[in-house]
Amino acid sequence: MAATTDHEEQTDAPAPPPPPRRRGGGGFATAVSVLGELLITAGLVLGLFVAYSLWWTNVIADREADKQGDKVRDHWAEDRGPVGLDTKDGIGFLHVPAMKNGEVLVKKGTSTKLLNNGIAGYYTNPVKSALPQDEKGNFSLAAHRDGHGAKFHNIDKLRKGDAIVFETKDEWYVYKVYATLPETSKYNIKALAPVPKESGRTKAGRYITLTTCTPVYTSRYRYVVWGELDRVEKVDDERTPPAELR
Amino acid sequence: MYGFIWRHLPGNTWIKALISLVLVLATVYVLFQYVFPWAEPLLPFNDVTVDNQ
Repeated sequence: MAATTDHEEQTDAPAPPPPPRRRGGGGFATAVSVLGELLITAGLVLGLFVAYSLWWTNVIADREADKQGDKVRDHWAEDRGPVGLDTKDGIGFLHVPAMKNGEVLVKKGTSTKLLNNGIAGYYTNPVKSALPQDEKGNFSLAAHRDGHGAKFHNIDKLRKGDAIVFETKDEWYVYKVYATLPETSKYNIKALAPVPKESGRTKAGRYITLTTCTPVYTSRYRYVVWGELDRVEKVDDERTPPAELR
Repeated sequence: MYGFIWRHLPGNTWIKALISLVLVLATVYVLFQYVFPWAEPLLPFNDVTVDNQ
Protein backbone atom coordinates (compact mmCIF):
# COMPACT_ATOMS: atom_id res chain seq x y z
CA MET A 1 0.00 0.00 0.00
CA ALA A 2 2.70 2.42 1.02
CA ALA A 3 4.75 1.47 -2.03
CA THR A 4 1.90 2.33 -4.41
CA THR A 5 1.36 5.73 -2.84
CA ASP A 6 5.04 6.50 -3.10
CA HIS A 7 4.99 5.45 -6.70
CA GLU A 8 2.00 7.64 -7.48
CA GLU A 9 3.51 10.63 -5.76
CA GLN A 10 6.66 10.25 -7.79
CA THR A 11 4.87 10.04 -11.13
CA ASP A 12 2.21 12.66 -10.43
CA ALA A 13 4.53 15.16 -8.80
CA PRO A 14 5.51 17.21 -11.86
CA ALA A 15 1.97 17.69 -13.27
CA PRO A 16 -0.42 19.22 -10.64
CA PRO A 17 0.86 21.40 -7.80
CA PRO A 18 1.71 19.08 -4.91
CA PRO A 19 -0.70 19.10 -1.94
CA PRO A 20 0.49 21.55 0.74
CA ARG A 21 2.85 19.72 3.05
CA ARG A 22 2.14 20.06 6.70
CA ARG A 23 4.54 22.30 8.56
CA GLY A 24 7.28 20.40 10.29
CA GLY A 25 6.25 17.50 8.13
CA GLY A 26 6.74 13.82 8.62
CA GLY A 27 6.42 11.36 11.43
CA PHE A 28 7.78 13.50 14.22
CA ALA A 29 5.08 16.17 14.02
CA THR A 30 2.38 13.52 13.83
CA ALA A 31 3.80 11.74 16.87
CA VAL A 32 3.92 14.97 18.86
CA SER A 33 0.37 15.89 17.91
CA VAL A 34 -0.94 12.42 18.78
CA LEU A 35 0.92 12.57 22.09
CA GLY A 36 -0.55 15.99 22.80
CA GLU A 37 -4.04 14.78 22.04
CA LEU A 38 -3.55 11.74 24.26
CA LEU A 39 -2.42 13.99 27.11
CA ILE A 40 -5.45 16.22 26.68
CA THR A 41 -7.62 13.13 26.65
CA ALA A 42 -5.98 11.83 29.83
CA GLY A 43 -6.65 15.19 31.49
CA LEU A 44 -10.30 15.07 30.49
CA VAL A 45 -10.64 11.49 31.74
CA LEU A 46 -9.13 12.44 35.10
CA GLY A 47 -11.51 15.40 35.30
CA LEU A 48 -14.38 13.05 34.59
CA PHE A 49 -13.12 10.72 37.29
CA VAL A 50 -13.28 13.54 39.82
CA ALA A 51 -16.84 14.29 38.71
CA TYR A 52 -17.62 10.60 39.02
CA SER A 53 -16.12 10.26 42.50
CA LEU A 54 -17.54 13.39 44.06
CA TRP A 55 -20.85 13.73 42.29
CA TRP A 56 -22.08 10.71 40.38
CA THR A 57 -21.37 8.16 43.14
CA ASN A 58 -23.43 10.37 45.48
CA VAL A 59 -26.33 10.40 43.05
CA ILE A 60 -26.25 6.62 42.73
CA ALA A 61 -25.69 5.99 46.43
CA ASP A 62 -28.41 8.37 47.62
CA ARG A 63 -30.87 6.74 45.28
CA GLU A 64 -29.95 3.29 46.59
CA ALA A 65 -29.96 4.44 50.23
CA ASP A 66 -33.43 5.95 49.83
CA LYS A 67 -34.67 2.72 48.35
CA GLN A 68 -33.20 0.58 51.12
CA GLY A 69 -34.34 3.04 53.81
CA ASP A 70 -37.89 3.00 52.48
CA LYS A 71 -37.81 -0.76 52.57
CA VAL A 72 -36.85 -0.77 56.24
CA ARG A 73 -39.54 1.80 57.09
CA ASP A 74 -42.16 -0.18 55.18
CA HIS A 75 -41.05 -3.26 57.04
CA TRP A 76 -41.42 -1.46 60.36
CA ALA A 77 -44.83 -0.11 59.43
CA GLU A 78 -46.24 -3.46 58.35
CA ASP A 79 -44.82 -5.38 61.22
CA ARG A 80 -46.75 -4.38 64.29
CA GLY A 81 -46.02 -7.40 66.45
CA PRO A 82 -42.87 -7.91 68.49
CA VAL A 83 -40.06 -9.00 66.21
CA GLY A 84 -36.48 -9.87 66.78
CA LEU A 85 -33.73 -7.67 65.44
CA ASP A 86 -33.62 -7.91 61.69
CA THR A 87 -30.06 -7.21 60.68
CA LYS A 88 -30.31 -7.99 57.02
CA ASP A 89 -32.23 -4.96 55.80
CA GLY A 90 -30.69 -2.57 58.28
CA ILE A 91 -31.10 -2.07 61.99
CA GLY A 92 -32.17 1.56 62.03
CA PHE A 93 -31.36 5.12 61.16
CA LEU A 94 -28.69 7.45 62.41
CA HIS A 95 -29.60 11.12 62.81
CA VAL A 96 -26.83 13.60 63.47
CA PRO A 97 -28.25 17.13 63.40
CA ALA A 98 -24.78 18.72 63.41
CA MET A 99 -23.85 16.90 60.19
CA LYS A 100 -26.98 18.21 58.44
CA ASN A 101 -27.39 15.15 56.30
CA GLY A 102 -30.78 13.78 57.25
CA GLU A 103 -31.06 10.16 58.20
CA VAL A 104 -28.52 7.49 57.47
CA LEU A 105 -29.51 3.88 57.21
CA VAL A 106 -27.32 1.58 59.32
CA LYS A 107 -26.62 -1.97 58.28
CA LYS A 108 -24.45 -4.78 59.48
CA GLY A 109 -20.87 -4.80 58.21
CA THR A 110 -18.43 -2.28 56.84
CA SER A 111 -17.48 -3.75 53.49
CA THR A 112 -16.84 -1.27 50.71
CA LYS A 113 -19.62 -2.79 48.66
CA LEU A 114 -22.11 -2.15 51.45
CA LEU A 115 -20.95 1.35 52.35
CA ASN A 116 -21.02 2.31 48.66
CA ASN A 117 -24.80 2.20 48.86
CA GLY A 118 -24.82 5.45 50.79
CA ILE A 119 -25.34 3.91 54.19
CA ALA A 120 -23.39 3.52 57.41
CA GLY A 121 -22.30 0.13 58.67
CA TYR A 122 -21.54 -1.18 62.11
CA TYR A 123 -18.30 -3.08 62.53
CA THR A 124 -18.19 -6.84 62.59
CA ASN A 125 -14.49 -7.01 61.85
CA PRO A 126 -11.85 -6.49 63.26
CA VAL A 127 -13.83 -5.58 66.37
CA LYS A 128 -17.36 -6.80 66.79
CA SER A 129 -19.56 -3.81 67.51
CA ALA A 130 -22.10 -3.79 70.29
CA LEU A 131 -25.65 -2.79 69.41
CA PRO A 132 -27.53 0.10 71.00
CA GLN A 133 -29.83 -2.41 72.70
CA ASP A 134 -26.92 -4.06 74.50
CA GLU A 135 -26.41 -3.40 78.18
CA LYS A 136 -22.79 -2.40 77.72
CA GLY A 137 -20.48 -1.90 74.80
CA ASN A 138 -19.43 0.27 71.93
CA PHE A 139 -21.68 0.72 68.91
CA SER A 140 -19.06 1.46 66.24
CA LEU A 141 -19.95 2.75 62.79
CA ALA A 142 -18.23 3.67 59.55
CA ALA A 143 -19.42 5.59 56.49
CA HIS A 144 -17.96 7.46 53.53
CA ARG A 145 -16.49 10.92 53.89
CA ASP A 146 -16.69 11.72 50.16
CA GLY A 147 -18.55 10.12 47.32
CA HIS A 148 -20.95 7.21 47.64
CA GLY A 149 -23.39 9.31 49.62
CA ALA A 150 -20.67 10.99 51.73
CA LYS A 151 -22.77 10.34 54.82
CA PHE A 152 -20.06 11.35 57.28
CA HIS A 153 -18.75 14.26 55.22
CA ASN A 154 -19.42 16.79 57.98
CA ILE A 155 -18.01 14.71 60.80
CA ASP A 156 -15.64 17.58 61.60
CA LYS A 157 -18.65 19.74 62.50
CA LEU A 158 -19.36 17.57 65.52
CA ARG A 159 -18.52 19.17 68.85
CA LYS A 160 -18.65 18.01 72.41
CA GLY A 161 -22.26 17.82 73.55
CA ASP A 162 -23.76 17.41 70.07
CA ALA A 163 -26.46 14.83 69.75
CA ILE A 164 -26.17 11.59 67.81
CA VAL A 165 -29.56 9.93 67.65
CA PHE A 166 -30.08 6.37 66.60
CA GLU A 167 -33.59 5.36 65.63
CA THR A 168 -34.74 1.76 65.76
CA LYS A 169 -38.19 0.36 65.28
CA ASP A 170 -39.19 0.93 68.88
CA GLU A 171 -36.63 3.25 70.44
CA TRP A 172 -34.72 6.45 70.04
CA TYR A 173 -31.20 6.18 71.44
CA VAL A 174 -29.88 9.63 72.19
CA TYR A 175 -26.10 9.83 72.45
CA LYS A 176 -23.99 12.88 73.28
CA VAL A 177 -20.56 13.45 71.77
CA TYR A 178 -17.90 13.63 74.50
CA ALA A 179 -14.62 13.26 72.58
CA THR A 180 -13.24 13.54 69.06
CA LEU A 181 -9.99 12.41 67.51
CA PRO A 182 -9.43 14.42 64.34
CA GLU A 183 -6.58 12.27 63.05
CA THR A 184 -5.48 8.77 63.81
CA SER A 185 -3.83 5.87 62.07
CA LYS A 186 -6.00 3.61 59.98
CA TYR A 187 -4.70 0.71 62.04
CA ASN A 188 -5.98 2.19 65.27
CA ILE A 189 -8.59 -0.44 66.05
CA LYS A 190 -8.38 0.42 69.75
CA ALA A 191 -10.75 3.28 68.92
CA LEU A 192 -13.46 0.64 68.52
CA ALA A 193 -12.81 -1.11 71.83
CA PRO A 194 -15.83 -1.76 74.09
CA VAL A 195 -14.31 0.80 76.43
CA PRO A 196 -12.50 3.28 74.17
CA LYS A 197 -9.66 4.31 76.48
CA GLU A 198 -8.32 6.88 74.04
CA SER A 199 -11.49 8.88 74.47
CA GLY A 200 -10.75 9.19 78.18
CA ARG A 201 -13.32 6.68 79.43
CA THR A 202 -12.21 3.82 81.63
CA LYS A 203 -15.48 2.23 82.70
CA ALA A 204 -17.81 0.06 80.67
CA GLY A 205 -20.76 1.99 79.32
CA ARG A 206 -22.95 2.42 76.29
CA TYR A 207 -20.79 4.18 73.76
CA ILE A 208 -21.08 5.06 70.09
CA THR A 209 -18.09 5.50 67.79
CA LEU A 210 -18.21 7.07 64.34
CA THR A 211 -15.25 6.54 62.03
CA THR A 212 -14.50 7.84 58.56
CA CYS A 213 -11.49 8.94 56.56
CA THR A 214 -9.66 12.23 56.79
CA PRO A 215 -8.45 14.65 55.40
CA VAL A 216 -11.34 15.10 52.98
CA TYR A 217 -10.88 13.51 49.54
CA THR A 218 -8.19 11.14 50.82
CA SER A 219 -7.93 8.09 53.03
CA ARG A 220 -4.64 8.78 54.74
CA TYR A 221 -5.96 8.95 58.30
CA ARG A 222 -9.14 8.22 60.21
CA TYR A 223 -11.42 10.64 62.01
CA VAL A 224 -13.08 9.30 65.14
CA VAL A 225 -15.96 10.69 67.19
CA TRP A 226 -17.08 9.13 70.46
CA GLY A 227 -20.43 9.56 72.12
CA GLU A 228 -22.10 8.12 75.12
CA LEU A 229 -25.72 7.19 75.71
CA ASP A 230 -27.70 9.99 77.30
CA ARG A 231 -31.15 8.41 77.36
CA VAL A 232 -33.50 6.07 75.54
CA GLU A 233 -36.95 7.18 74.45
CA LYS A 234 -39.77 4.96 73.37
CA VAL A 235 -41.06 5.54 69.86
CA ASP A 236 -44.68 6.74 70.01
CA ASP A 237 -47.42 6.21 67.45
CA GLU A 238 -46.49 9.27 65.41
CA ARG A 239 -42.78 8.49 65.67
CA THR A 240 -42.31 11.93 67.26
CA PRO A 241 -38.57 12.53 67.20
CA PRO A 242 -36.72 13.41 70.41
CA ALA A 243 -36.12 17.07 71.24
CA GLU A 244 -32.66 17.05 69.63
CA LEU A 245 -34.13 16.42 66.20
CA ARG A 246 -36.92 18.98 66.37
CA MET B 1 -5.77 11.41 16.29
CA TYR B 2 -9.03 13.35 16.55
CA GLY B 3 -8.34 14.84 13.10
CA PHE B 4 -7.99 11.32 11.77
CA ILE B 5 -11.31 10.27 13.32
CA TRP B 6 -13.04 13.41 12.02
CA ARG B 7 -11.80 12.83 8.47
CA HIS B 8 -12.99 9.23 8.54
CA LEU B 9 -16.51 9.96 9.75
CA PRO B 10 -19.07 9.79 6.95
CA GLY B 11 -21.38 12.57 5.84
CA ASN B 12 -21.26 16.35 5.93
CA THR B 13 -20.14 18.52 8.83
CA TRP B 14 -23.48 18.31 10.65
CA ILE B 15 -23.63 14.54 10.47
CA LYS B 16 -20.00 14.31 11.53
CA ALA B 17 -20.72 16.59 14.50
CA LEU B 18 -23.72 14.46 15.46
CA ILE B 19 -21.76 11.21 15.26
CA SER B 20 -18.92 12.82 17.26
CA LEU B 21 -21.36 13.82 19.98
CA VAL B 22 -22.76 10.29 20.14
CA LEU B 23 -19.23 8.88 20.33
CA VAL B 24 -18.31 11.27 23.16
CA LEU B 25 -21.45 10.39 25.11
CA ALA B 26 -20.84 6.69 24.57
CA THR B 27 -17.29 7.09 25.87
CA VAL B 28 -18.47 8.94 28.97
CA TYR B 29 -21.09 6.26 29.58
CA VAL B 30 -18.55 3.45 29.34
CA LEU B 31 -16.20 5.34 31.68
CA PHE B 32 -18.89 6.02 34.32
CA GLN B 33 -20.51 2.64 34.07
CA TYR B 34 -17.56 0.30 33.77
CA VAL B 35 -14.11 1.88 33.91
CA PHE B 36 -14.42 4.15 36.96
CA PRO B 37 -16.22 1.62 39.17
CA TRP B 38 -13.44 -0.79 38.34
CA ALA B 39 -10.64 1.71 38.95
CA GLU B 40 -11.99 3.25 42.13
CA PRO B 41 -11.25 0.47 44.63
CA LEU B 42 -7.69 0.38 43.30
CA LEU B 43 -7.13 4.00 44.32
CA PRO B 44 -6.59 5.03 47.93
CA PHE B 45 -9.40 7.59 48.28
CA ASN B 46 -12.24 5.70 49.82
CA ASP B 47 -11.14 3.53 52.70
CA VAL B 48 -13.08 4.67 55.71
CA THR B 49 -12.75 1.90 58.25
CA VAL B 50 -10.06 1.24 60.79
CA ASP B 51 -8.67 -2.24 60.55
CA ASN B 52 -5.54 -4.18 61.18
CA GLN B 53 -4.67 -5.08 57.62
